[in-house]
Amino acid sequence: MLARGVSRSSVIQSLKVMLIPGRYGLERWSYVLQRVSGVVVSLYFIAHVLETGNFVGGITVWSVPDYSFAERAYEETVKLLKNPIFDAGLAVVGFLVALHTINGIRLVLAHFGFSLGRPRRPEPFSPPPSFSSKQRALFWLSISLAVFALLYTLDSLMKVFRP
Amino acid sequence: MVEKVKFKVFRYRPEDGGKGFYKEYEVPVKKGMTILDGLIYIKENIDPTLSVRYSCRMAICGSCGVRVNSLETLACHTQVLELKRRVIRVEPMRNYPLVKDLVTDMTPLFRKQKALMTWLIRQDNVEQENPTKQYLQSEEELERYLQFTYCIQCGLCYSACPVVSTFPDFYGPQPLMKAYRYYADSRDEGGEERVRLVDRFEGVWRCHFAGSCSAVCPKGVDPALAIQLLRRSALKG
Ligand code: HEM
Ligand code: SF4
Ligand code: FES
Repeated sequence: MLARGVSRSSVIQSLKVMLIPGRYGLERWSYVLQRVSGVVVSLYFIAHVLETGNFVGGITVWSVPDYSFAERAYEETVKLLKNPIFDAGLAVVGFLVALHTINGIRLVLAHFGFSLGRPRRPEPFSPPPSFSSKQRALFWLSISLAVFALLYTLDSLMKVFRP
Repeated sequence: MVEKVKFKVFRYRPEDGGKGFYKEYEVPVKKGMTILDGLIYIKENIDPTLSVRYSCRMAICGSCGVRVNSLETLACHTQVLELKRRVIRVEPMRNYPLVKDLVTDMTPLFRKQKALMTWLIRQDNVEQENPTKQYLQSEEELERYLQFTYCIQCGLCYSACPVVSTFPDFYGPQPLMKAYRYYADSRDEGGEERVRLVDRFEGVWRCHFAGSCSAVCPKGVDPALAIQLLRRSALKG
């Protein structure tokens, strides 16, 4: 599995650096969250296609199955997924998708050199121009929308905020 | 008033091989004393085998970069009591080969700077070597790159970068920032050549804007900004 010259301990070290934001501040948190959300959403996407594909016969989709099969597969899937663990999982996916999209737009802007401050003479105690207030605002917007998506999903699936 | 603070210092002896270990030292600390003062105290009074690199003791030479409580900093620019901790962990920088204890080998940083030609390029070499006039520059032209000239090559940003940690071929914050410093200098004629050098996988495209370089820079240089501006230039072609 491991490439030549790559020791197990260096893989663990890399994972630690990638997944633990440490004390490096907001932008490092964004880096970790963007990665984790990207990977989780990719995995979710694969699982989602496999799961919905079942209704039309999964891998044998090219020979379309009859309606009763699709209906049964659908009922079974719905029954399997109708439990609080999957609901909570979907809420987390909702959180991550909202975060990834808005924070992704923030990163695209930054990568194109927009919404950043201009180079200026360094001054003690003032943040680097690349940590501009526009960039920070977009980050917090992504967090807020992600929290909203989380609560909204929980509410629509589990009716947690309804009397 | 003197307080006792515990220094937990990373020790590594190449001749022993292995991973290295932490050793604890009690250090009496007064107001104003820096991490470097503490390390020198240990070396003079407790354990002369401790290796630490420093020179200016005033945040100018860039020799004394270490990680203090998991954050890159200049040992001479960090006051012990300001950390407000009883135990202080001092480790060498990451992403460099280790020489001994807190001393790292800075070669990767300098090699990558050299690969990016981080010096003034002029088309007319003869004139550059034997200048007959000054290269004039306006205030605005100066402001475009001035921030990036404050770099003291301490390499802390390179140690903090998660991309260098996970993909060591990445040029890293300081060398790319330095490339932009010259690219943005109106006196420099490197232009397209500079963009060609960074327009590659190991260059600007690998930066994920984790911003840790700019978060730790003791000189307010903001390498993350320079890299995004350099990428913008690479996109413009
Ligand atoms: C509007 C939608 C999206 C936007 C704006 C967006 C944007 C981004 C950006 C800017 C990055 C980070 C690049 C960097 O670190 O330099 C990223 C990473 C990533 N995205 Fe997305 N993305 C979107 C949707 C998706 C979707 C639907 C998936 C998966 C099915 C996905 C999977 C990933 C993965 C796996 C990463 C890798 C993380 C990394 O390299 O750090 N993204 N995305
Ligand atoms: S950019 Fe800052 S942290 Fe990086 S080498 Fe220069 S002074 Fe040190
Ligand atoms: S000893 Fe020169 S920068 Fe710290």
